[in-house]
Amino acid sequence: MAETIAPEVKPRPIIRIGLFIISHSTLVSIVCCIAGVLALLLLPVLAKSTYFSENALMPGSAMSMLSGKNVVEADRFVKELSSLGLKAPSTGLEIPKLIAKGMADLGGEVSYHNFHPQSKKFHPLHFFSSPDPDMVKANYSCSSYGVNIIGIARAPRSDGKEAIVLVTPYNSSDISLGEAMSLGIAYSVFSLFTQVSWLAKDIIWVAADSRHGEYASIVSWLRDYHSPSFGGLEKLNAKACREGLVTGSEVSDSFLRGGTIAAALVIKVADKSEVFDKDALSIYAEASNGQMPNLDLINVINYLAVHGQGFRVKVEKLPSLLDSKWLKVLGTAIESLGKIARNLNPQWKFGIPVADYVEGTATLASSLYNQALGVPTGPHGAFRDYQIDAVTLDILPKISSYHKARRNEFLLHGARLVEGVARSVNNLLEKFHQSFFLYLLTSPNKFVSVGVYMIAFLLLIAPLPVVAASLYSDAHKCNSGIKNEDVTSADFVDGPTINSKSWRWLYAAKTVFVIHLWGFIVTVLPFFVCQIPNCSSTTSLLIWIASSGFSLILVHLLLGSPFVTASIPQSAGKEWLLLKSVTITAAFIGLCLMSVINFATAEIGALLTVPMCLMARPLKRDFNVRSTKAYARGALNLVLLHIGFPMAAFFLIKGAFEGFDNISVGDFWYWVESLWVWNSATYIYICMAYIPCWVLCIHILLHPC
Amino acid sequence: MGLWKWTWASILLRLILIYFPHNLLNLSSRPELSTPLTSLRRLAEGYWLKQSSMSPYAGSMYHGSPILLSLLGPLTVIRIEGLPPQILCSLVFVIADFATAMLIRAIGRNLKVACSRKFNSLNLGKVVDNPDFLPAGDIAALVYLWNPFTIFTCVGSSTSPIENFLILLTLYGACKRLPPLAAFGWVISSHVALYPAILIIPVIFLLGYGPDSPPRKLFLEKNLTKTGDDILLKQSAKPTYFSWKSVVLFVLWASIFASCVLFLCGLYVKEYGGIHEMIQRTYGFMLTVEDLSPNIGVLWYFFAEVFDFFRYFFLIVFHVNILFMLLPLAIRLNHRPCFLAFVYIAISSILKSYPSVGDSALYLGLLSLFVNELADMQFSFFLFSGYVGVSLLSPVMHNLWIWRGTGNANFYFATAMAYACFQIVLVVESVNAILNHDRKIRKLCTTTT
Repeated sequence: MAETIAPEVKPRPIIRIGLFIISHSTLVSIVCCIAGVLALLLLPVLAKSTYFSENALMPGSAMSMLSGKNVVEADRFVKELSSLGLKAPSTGLEIPKLIAKGMADLGGEVSYHNFHPQSKKFHPLHFFSSPDPDMVKANYSCSSYGVNIIGIARAPRSDGKEAIVLVTPYNSSDISLGEAMSLGIAYSVFSLFTQVSWLAKDIIWVAADSRHGEYASIVSWLRDYHSPSFGGLEKLNAKACREGLVTGSEVSDSFLRGGTIAAALVIKVADKSEVFDKDALSIYAEASNGQMPNLDLINVINYLAVHGQGFRVKVEKLPSLLDSKWLKVLGTAIESLGKIARNLNPQWKFGIPVADYVEGTATLASSLYNQALGVPTGPHGAFRDYQIDAVTLDILPKISSYHKARRNEFLLHGARLVEGVARSVNNLLEKFHQSFFLYLLTSPNKFVSVGVYMIAFLLLIAPLPVVAASLYSDAHKCNSGIKNEDVTSADFVDGPTINSKSWRWLYAAKTVFVIHLWGFIVTVLPFFVCQIPNCSSTTSLLIWIASSGFSLILVHLLLGSPFVTASIPQSAGKEWLLLKSVTITAAFIGLCLMSVINFATAEIGALLTVPMCLMARPLKRDFNVRSTKAYARGALNLVLLHIGFPMAAFFLIKGAFEGFDNISVGDFWYWVESLWVWNSATYIYICMAYIPCWVLCIHILLHPC
Repeated sequence: MGLWKWTWASILLRLILIYFPHNLLNLSSRPELSTPLTSLRRLAEGYWLKQSSMSPYAGSMYHGSPILLSLLGPLTVIRIEGLPPQILCSLVFVIADFATAMLIRAIGRNLKVACSRKFNSLNLGKVVDNPDFLPAGDIAALVYLWNPFTIFTCVGSSTSPIENFLILLTLYGACKRLPPLAAFGWVISSHVALYPAILIIPVIFLLGYGPDSPPRKLFLEKNLTKTGDDILLKQSAKPTYFSWKSVVLFVLWASIFASCVLFLCGLYVKEYGGIHEMIQRTYGFMLTVEDLSPNIGVLWYFFAEVFDFFRYFFLIVFHVNILFMLLPLAIRLNHRPCFLAFVYIAISSILKSYPSVGDSALYLGLLSLFVNELADMQFSFFLFSGYVGVSLLSPVMHNLWIWRGTGNANFYFATAMAYACFQIVLVVESVNAILNHDRKIRKLCTTTT
């Protein structure tokens, strides 16, 4: 028989290593978890400086052609716009008319794009399906339409197969100074682009009506841009509404298109200003589900802004981390470590100054958080759904920029930056592909690539399969012991019973499957909760939780009872081992999947899941042992479980970063709502992988051994 | 009865999935479910071409058999108001799934009867009469019906359910020793999908020796030890004898059916290049791997990379790979023809040019016919987790590559390779478990006598 022969044959080295690791699973998991957390904290140190991968970009190699003349014209345009904005209530058509006229005067092709913003809907399974082309068409009133104005500067020497998009959001009914300034920047660049001969890609300037939200207007424009339009009901309606808009023959009647969009820039100017010696430029890059534009695009902008136009470039940081004590302590430790390393060997460039470390960590944390949310940080997110690299440039002028003399200078800098970026992208022979798509930023010119941050994640989740295997073999071992006794009593070797052999995990798998099925129900429930009218966020949340609990009981009654172990035959004392093994495997698969979809969610999820899963152990066993160690373990388990509840985790994180002062229970509902309206995979992860895992851990804790 | 309750429930689930969220996941365009050979969309296109008096094979859209075209084609154009398009085809697939499950169940019962007869002749009757001896046929039928692979294949409009049905019809006919039925199933399934042609070896074993049994040597030994008992000798010597009659009948019937099929196909494509064109567009398309669009197999990536002048060499290598494994396995497992059929189907679904999860659904169903024999299989949990993980990861990688553009072909191919590895481990471990089981029986024989 195989079992009797097996010990005599020496297994191969790789199998022996595997067995060794599995037999020391506790030590391995502790070491790996600590190493994973440490590696995560070390990421700012390991960040590399950015570099240009794509040689064709050649940023800043050409002299800027933008002259004072363009800027003066733009200044006049801004003045006209702001004077319109100051005027009393308008019909909402003067500003679009003025912008269209401006575009046409510069020599671009102009058309209006009327749209009705689609309300966001709940699609739990949207992630795997392609964008849905058919939308609900209905009769809308004219006032609900938004008006985008599209101006195209045709490239003189191209076949119109490629294009670069500039987006300037504006409010068609009430324009602010910042919006006027961003339109001014685009105006001055556009006035240059209609003249130059070096353009190889069409420049599309989209003045997006932000009355219904910046994002919605760009989404609808992109949808129409990428789908063939046939004159439907909506178009007729839109035409009727447009009557008041048509200014003359220069505005085209049809929907204008360029070619494939190579890159897109969203230009925004803040209304407020700050006391600094330089204008500040914030780059927002996170699109839905933590997708980032190609790193080269950010490189170009950063390079031109810092070296060309003297902007102070920043990416978002978590402000509360900037003055946290423990980070500073950690930073000091790393700095001194680096010094020691450099004393040993001057070649080792390890360690960074404390201030850099703290800043890098704050940026990294914000980068992780924004990616994990899976909600785009600006209107650029809409482009990513069509595989277009896009960023939002948020320019914060220094205090004096709105003064008349300073305004020209500000416009000149902004326009030259945009010109430089457009010129670089214009040089591209193929779409961005050379540099990274998967990275985290620690400062505008430093990044952590996928190869580095994956190490931290892999170290963190490595214990899961090891512990699962060791638990599985434990359950098997004690089972085979019982089995041997059976054999002697029954004097019959070949009782092929599924319960006692290698398929016994099927019972545990059934329990885990049922709980994950329940997770699916939890995912879909908010869809029905939303239908209830006049419901405050707190009530909705309570209804959601209550109905989830109820459905758990229902599922348990219908599909066999996962919480009753009486039906499972023999060796009940060890049943939890298998259950824990299967739970851990399910958590591992879930985390691996999520790390491919959205790394940041998986990383944060792993930080919560891994300790919870690894520690889980029936409380009854711990309390029967009656030793301090067992009590401590039980208490730790309880604490981990309480922290692990998604709501508790949410409020703890929120409280840690924003203070506990103004937190209400309903906030969680709003947060979850924001996740699903943006079709964030994080929502699906929480409901279908995380919560089932949490419930299973409770089940293990309460297991009657 | 539990079996029927769950069977109807699975059919109801299919009907709901077909009717309700029609393009919820865009199932019919998933590369995992519909290959260039099994896609119903392509079949509808082929039918349309035929209706407009063109060759159904024009334009490299359709590559299936004319039989499927003439059977399913008319159903693709019928629209019923208020119901999703191609509802009739979907219903046909649901019926095919149900029929397949019933055939699996019948085979399981047949195997059990044969098994208990053999065990009784070895004085091991208590093994089969043990209440723990599971009703393998019922379990296998339910596993087939509730396998997510089967459900998605059925709902995702691919013709795999019909291919699976034909293959099981062959095995059922052979198990019941009905040469005409076996020949019919074998000819049609080989004609539709080509790869089932290798099933001729297990079918001949089944017709010759009868269903799976412990190694024949055991019966001989048994007879030697009990030479005194003449009655027993006659009883147990009988099954070891190879019945040439049914095999000859099978060959006869098979040639009749094959000529019929060729004649009908020839008639169907007479005006469009004849039978030669058809063979080139169907079997040629399968064997030369012309379509390199991604699927869950490993060949598309390889032939996208390989230099053109090596192409034929590697084509031969890959196809001979399947053939090489036939003979050794046939020799080693000749006493278990049904299991041999499972191994063949699993190997061909790893190495075939356009695999889909429908093939996996078939061999997983067949595998569970042997739950009693495989009770000691190793790595079962590892394999299960692997299958779950890969089948979830594969669509995600596809999304990352095709829709998001942040991944590339290597990401998707990695899951295809992992999938192939898991299938190989499954085959190896199950064969191992069966051989161990045989050893165990031999040991029991020697201890009980």
